[in-house]
Amino acid sequence: MIEFLNFIALRGPNMWTYRPVIEAWVDIGELEESPSNTLPGFNERLTAWLPSLVEHRCSYGEQGGFLQRLKEGTWPAHILEHVTLELQNLAGMPGGFGKARSTSQRGIYKVAVRSWHEHITRQALLLGRDLVMAAIDNTPFNVAQAVAQLAQMKEHLLLGPSTQAIVDAATAKSRRIPAIRLSAGNLVQLGYGKHSRRIWTAETDATSAIAESISSDKSLTNALLRSCGVPVPEGSIVTHAAAAWTEAQSIGLPVVIKPVDGNHGRGVSVDLSTQTDIEAAFALAEDASRSGEVLVEKFIPGIEHRLLIVGGKLVAAARGEEAWVVGDGRSTVQQLINQQINSDPRRGTEEASPLNRIENDPAVALELNRQGSAIDAIPICGERLLIQRNGNVAFDCTDEVHPAIIAQAALAARIVGLDIAGIDLVARDISQPLASQQGAIVEVNAGPGLLMHLKPAAGQPRPVGEAIVDYLFPPDAATRIPVVGVTGSAVATLTARWLDHVLRLTNQATGLACKEGVFLGTLPLATQNLSPLAAAQTLLINRQTEVAVIENSIDDLLNEGLAYDRCQVGIVTTLNPDQDPSSLRPDHYIDTPERLFNIVRTQVDVVLPNGCAVLNAADPLVREMAELCDGEVIFFADENTADTNTLAALTAHRTQGGRAVLLRNQAIILAEANNEKSLLTLTEISYINTAVKVFADNQKVGAGETAANRITALLATIGAAWALNVPLVTLRIGLTTF
Amino acid sequence: MDIIRLRALRGPNLWGRHTAIEATLHCPSCARTSADLPDITTRIQARFPGLGALPAQNPSAQATPLPLPELIAIAALSLQISAGCPVAFYRCTETVETGVYQIVVEYSEEAVGRLAVELALELYIAARDDQPFDAANAIARLRALDEDQRLGPSTGAIVHAAVARGIPYRRLTTGSLVQFGWGARQRRIQAAEIDATSAIAESIAQDKQLTKQLLLAAGVPVPEGRSVASAAEAWVAAQAIMANGNDNLLSRSVVVKPQDGNQGKGVTVDICTQDAVFQAYAAAAAISDDVLVERYLPGHDFRLLVVGNRLIAAARREPAQVIGNGQDSISALVDAVNLDPNRGDGHATSLTKIRLDNIAIATLQQQGLTPDSVPSQGQRVVLRHNANLSTGGTATDVTDEVHPQLAARAIAAAAMVGLDICGVDAVCETLTRPLEAQGGGIVEVNAAPGLRMHLAPSYGKGRAVGEAIIDLLFPAGDNGRIPIVAVAGTNGKTTTVRLIAHLQTVAGRRVGMTTTDGVYIQGQRIDSGDCSGPKSARNVLLHPEVDAAVLETARGGILREGLAFDHCDVAVVTNIGLGDHLGLNYITTVEDLAVVKRVIVDNVSPTGMTVLNAADPLVARKANYCPSAVTFFAADSQHPVLAAHGARRQRVVYRDGDDLVTAEGEVQARFPLANIPLTHAGALGFQVENVMAAIAAVWALGLDWHVIREGLASFVNNADTAPGRFNVFQYCGATVIADYGHNPDAIVALIQAVEAMPGKRRTAVISAAGDRRDEDIRQQSQLLGGVFDNLILYEDACQRGRTPGETLGLLREGLAGAARAQQVTDVYGEFLAIDQALESLAPGDLCLILIDQVEEALAHIKQRVTESLAKAA
Repeated sequence: MIEFLNFIALRGPNMWTYRPVIEAWVDIGELEESPSNTLPGFNERLTAWLPSLVEHRCSYGEQGGFLQRLKEGTWPAHILEHVTLELQNLAGMPGGFGKARSTSQRGIYKVAVRSWHEHITRQALLLGRDLVMAAIDNTPFNVAQAVAQLAQMKEHLLLGPSTQAIVDAATAKSRRIPAIRLSAGNLVQLGYGKHSRRIWTAETDATSAIAESISSDKSLTNALLRSCGVPVPEGSIVTHAAAAWTEAQSIGLPVVIKPVDGNHGRGVSVDLSTQTDIEAAFALAEDASRSGEVLVEKFIPGIEHRLLIVGGKLVAAARGEEAWVVGDGRSTVQQLINQQINSDPRRGTEEASPLNRIENDPAVALELNRQGSAIDAIPICGERLLIQRNGNVAFDCTDEVHPAIIAQAALAARIVGLDIAGIDLVARDISQPLASQQGAIVEVNAGPGLLMHLKPAAGQPRPVGEAIVDYLFPPDAATRIPVVGVTGSAVATLTARWLDHVLRLTNQATGLACKEGVFLGTLPLATQNLSPLAAAQTLLINRQTEVAVIENSIDDLLNEGLAYDRCQVGIVTTLNPDQDPSSLRPDHYIDTPERLFNIVRTQVDVVLPNGCAVLNAADPLVREMAELCDGEVIFFADENTADTNTLAALTAHRTQGGRAVLLRNQAIILAEANNEKSLLTLTEISYINTAVKVFADNQKVGAGETAANRITALLATIGAAWALNVPLVTLRIGLTTF
Repeated sequence: MDIIRLRALRGPNLWGRHTAIEATLHCPSCARTSADLPDITTRIQARFPGLGALPAQNPSAQATPLPLPELIAIAALSLQISAGCPVAFYRCTETVETGVYQIVVEYSEEAVGRLAVELALELYIAARDDQPFDAANAIARLRALDEDQRLGPSTGAIVHAAVARGIPYRRLTTGSLVQFGWGARQRRIQAAEIDATSAIAESIAQDKQLTKQLLLAAGVPVPEGRSVASAAEAWVAAQAIMANGNDNLLSRSVVVKPQDGNQGKGVTVDICTQDAVFQAYAAAAAISDDVLVERYLPGHDFRLLVVGNRLIAAARREPAQVIGNGQDSISALVDAVNLDPNRGDGHATSLTKIRLDNIAIATLQQQGLTPDSVPSQGQRVVLRHNANLSTGGTATDVTDEVHPQLAARAIAAAAMVGLDICGVDAVCETLTRPLEAQGGGIVEVNAAPGLRMHLAPSYGKGRAVGEAIIDLLFPAGDNGRIPIVAVAGTNGKTTTVRLIAHLQTVAGRRVGMTTTDGVYIQGQRIDSGDCSGPKSARNVLLHPEVDAAVLETARGGILREGLAFDHCDVAVVTNIGLGDHLGLNYITTVEDLAVVKRVIVDNVSPTGMTVLNAADPLVARKANYCPSAVTFFAADSQHPVLAAHGARRQRVVYRDGDDLVTAEGEVQARFPLANIPLTHAGALGFQVENVMAAIAAVWALGLDWHVIREGLASFVNNADTAPGRFNVFQYCGATVIADYGHNPDAIVALIQAVEAMPGKRRTAVISAAGDRRDEDIRQQSQLLGGVFDNLILYEDACQRGRTPGETLGLLREGLAGAARAQQVTDVYGEFLAIDQALESLAPGDLCLILIDQVEEALAHIKQRVTESLAKAA
């Protein structure tokens, strides 16, 4: 039996990894006695169900590494980890972190696996457990069904592929822009606080609502483009079939008929020359139109292209292709379509498929009708039939687009007012100017799909997400606000509050999330119903926040992880389980100083390379974290009470040019290498000298504080403020007025 | 009486600045004035008592007869006034043709103006024939059409605010999409959305749960609550909410409502028992799968309007309601309330009629009432749960009451959602205290909020909402305009336009220009043909990549439609001279033509500049009418008009030997003609004039002298860049000049230029466009006959209404008694004429070809030149 004791969704950076994971506590009970090599037929059954486990490198770091471990004998918790990841992988969520660790209690493990979505990964763990048990017990297990279930959850719960591409580009190492999903849909925030932007699929917060409404009115769009000299087909709106025919004759045949306000090419018919065809096409278009208005336009011969314009630049271009079938004298057109077109593995019904299957498409019926055929007709051997003139526009042609066409497409987006636009244009040859070939822009689309450029049916995928991120955040644009994370087994709250007080004096909109609540400036935010991580994230979501101080208790670290991906300053106030055993969390199997260290170090791990860890040099565990920091380290310590190890560490740090905040007698000293500057003396700081107050409503301020740990908080606050370049004048006032 | 022609003058025009319908009417001799139909005035007044005052009659003299078209104009104007249109202007004049009158009637909406003229004519005919005329119906039709056409109150308020700030506007659709400003400085609005309004923010505002979550993050008080999936869950949620309540601030009761309901359907308020919650859940679940349980907020519905980061207005909204009087039934009370003329049927008026529909009846039912119930004296009967104006609600302005902290929360809410114009709905007892202090909350934020309740609230004062939105679009001091130079005149317009555009391009501006051969944006031709009318000008002003516009403004467009702009920064009138196209549109004399061109001068901004040719007496006379300062230019520095102007320390441009000089008082700048290739070092007198006009124009636009010098030096003028503008070719040692000049002034200028050039034997190839007056065509050949030896006259297919041979005959008549012409040949076909002329040339000869089909003829000449070079090689 494998029993789940607990699932913990670690949504932010945690002791395992920077990415969200689910930490499952499993009790394998008696299976502790049965490593894989002792279970007859187990490995064979497992690898038969999941042959791709061969790709798992595991501890050997090479292909087949995990299979090797199976052979040598490994335990079910570790197997569960790999099986869960593989199930996610097969369902389209590839790669990812996984780890299984034993606890101090026999048979109980913590299994952590990369979580794409809490619900999905939890389900993957449950399915993984069933699979492993089935393999152990030699009972049947339907792998395909399990994978399909996860894949369906993925379609339903994860970001759509366009949004995901943008988020991936933002969070990639080269940009490291944080992302917060704001809704169950595709609304995502990039960046923090004041510097945040929002995206919603291929719309940005700068995408104009008016521009979208213009683009959805094809007739208006056409008129505006024409006024500015952009080539567009001549056309006009009609409201009944007879008018469509009259208008077609006056424009000149052949014509295109489409709904004024449709999208995705629905209800569009092209190259129509007869009254019958035109009236039939009118009916199709009318059905696809919300307003019932239909556009009759001059037919522009050529291939349909989609140009993606982002911030005035061409980012990608794709073209459509005609789809044909050739008769064999036996099969119906539908069968020929299935054999010759739908058999293409790139054609699928999922959103992520580069090409669609052709099924029950009235436009196809119309096209066949025009050729004197029908979907159930049996063409003679060798007869070629056009099925789709412009099926999926999914063949990359970015490098071929003529500069004059790029300029016109960018202008079209600008005229409509869209920052991100999909320009549909018809041209025989995209490498020649439109004017030379009577090509024209036929549509301007807001919120264009990106998939055709990310996963073209042929040609090179284009870095569309990167382009959108670069447009939103030019290389020198700020993406983050300074975030200060505070953790420690004591006075973390006091430190956070004190630092918040200092930072507010710098005239920045300062956010504070600590045990006492979440505040923006003096304004308390009503976050009582939120988890600590969600409560702290409100500060990062708030577009006013200019700097945020976030306290992370040890419990928060264990239960949710950090509220931010990275921070400017990471403070560890104190961590000394030998002196303060209550800082251990045996209920979480955090029962040794090493395990506690592993939890708390996350705070230092996430310090940005240009950031700073502010660490208590007097605590050996905290001192040890210095080497984990990607950025600078500022030590702090009370020299009056420091032991020799502390003093030695301070000296070593300063010898290497490091900074430190020191209390020497009554003086607070800012030290950097050999330089020392006296900031102020303890006697000037009233808070240090006031007794613990108890108010009438029994709310204690300063309860549990001692003179020593108040000094710790004071020094940590100074270190962080110094790291954030708070002017010393301001800092002094902040310290004395708290 | 017939309408010969009906035009809409959509911009400043010959008659004034009003938009107006211009109708040309023909009256038969039996019915021209009121004298012909003695009691016509009385009959019209009987049918339409609202007919405005007639022109004062001179009491001493015999009553002056009134032209009947004038009566029609007055009727058309009065009908519009009766329908509520703000119009006042009309005019009636007799044309040179007997019995043909032009009437001009101002309109505020074109369609309404057209209909008013039609109806006025119907009224006249009915009166004349003693038939009835339903004036009330006519006015109702006009009123309905006007409501349909005119901007709604929200958009209208924004447009008015823009106009007050001098910001130009243009409707892009028949709906509420409006462009403010021009070119690259333009902005757009659509009702209460602006072009910067984020589509994502709008989507967020539509998702109430997401909005609430974001508002929480901004510290904005929102009613506590959550969505539930069952009645049991609803009760659990309700208990949790009530447990958090307290006696002084937070209520201990809840609201249950469908997530995406509307108009208050399925909403139950202020409940606290399990039974009530279960019932309420059932009611809400009937409307939507998603049911919300929230804390009940007691108090009133308020709407706070945030624009940018400012609170602009606040209103207390009340649902449709009637107050009982102890006598009348509810339906009678509703009828009485609906008598208020401020209550209309749609959004066009400040209030909307109360509808006693199913929703109202259901609402009454909940109160145990029916439409027939008679409420007691003073009893308040609510007919709707929601307070929308569109369902008969009222709004009271309470802007002055808003507590600053409450305002800050509304602004924070708008900012958090990301809306620049935002209607924030708050529920609380009063706006005079912070929301937090009274347990109030913000329940919704709205994109594109209605402005009606703030512009014309039912009670209290209207707020400057349109102004606030315009201030958001255009910071103080920015009127959204780009500099416009309008160029009119008989000759030299196109070259002057191109040169002004080029000089600004050198100054780094993206220039859009219209000329008789196309529309150009940043040097790229985007339209071809004669583009000197208002439509092309409007296209330039619409183009988002234009920083400056230079518009050739031909008389045709002014007459047809008026100007495309309300006013320009610089108007240049090159010359009127002997005139061109006289006879069109009842413009018969050069004096009248000057009046047409005056339209552009009349519409120069008071802070702008009018550039006039001092040597042209008709032009110079314009200085008297100019609303702006004037710059005179003339080749002759001693010209009295120019000299006098200069003496007054006003701006002048003139030629001084080999330099052009700009002078303002003692300050002078010089431009050596040797550095201006266009003038052929000063040899081409007409180009010198064009250059002076262009310098004067860009001087007014504030270009630096060094930029102007650089631009003059780099300006290229050849068959490619300026087709048909004095294009010079070399053909077998002879000089060939091709030009499109087709009127006597152009030919005078050409003759002057050609005379300054060497040439043994002189040949001219000439034709004439058929729509010129006979005397102009004769004069043309007469002028050329004086200076050319060999004349080849041709006629082409396009003769604009003349019979074959007619033009040639006129040209020949002009040559009678020519001083120099020795040889005259008639040819049919332009290319043939060109070929014949070229064959006759010997080295050292000079040949002037007046081309007609510009591009084709130039291509033909170029081909012949290439062939001759190939032969020579």
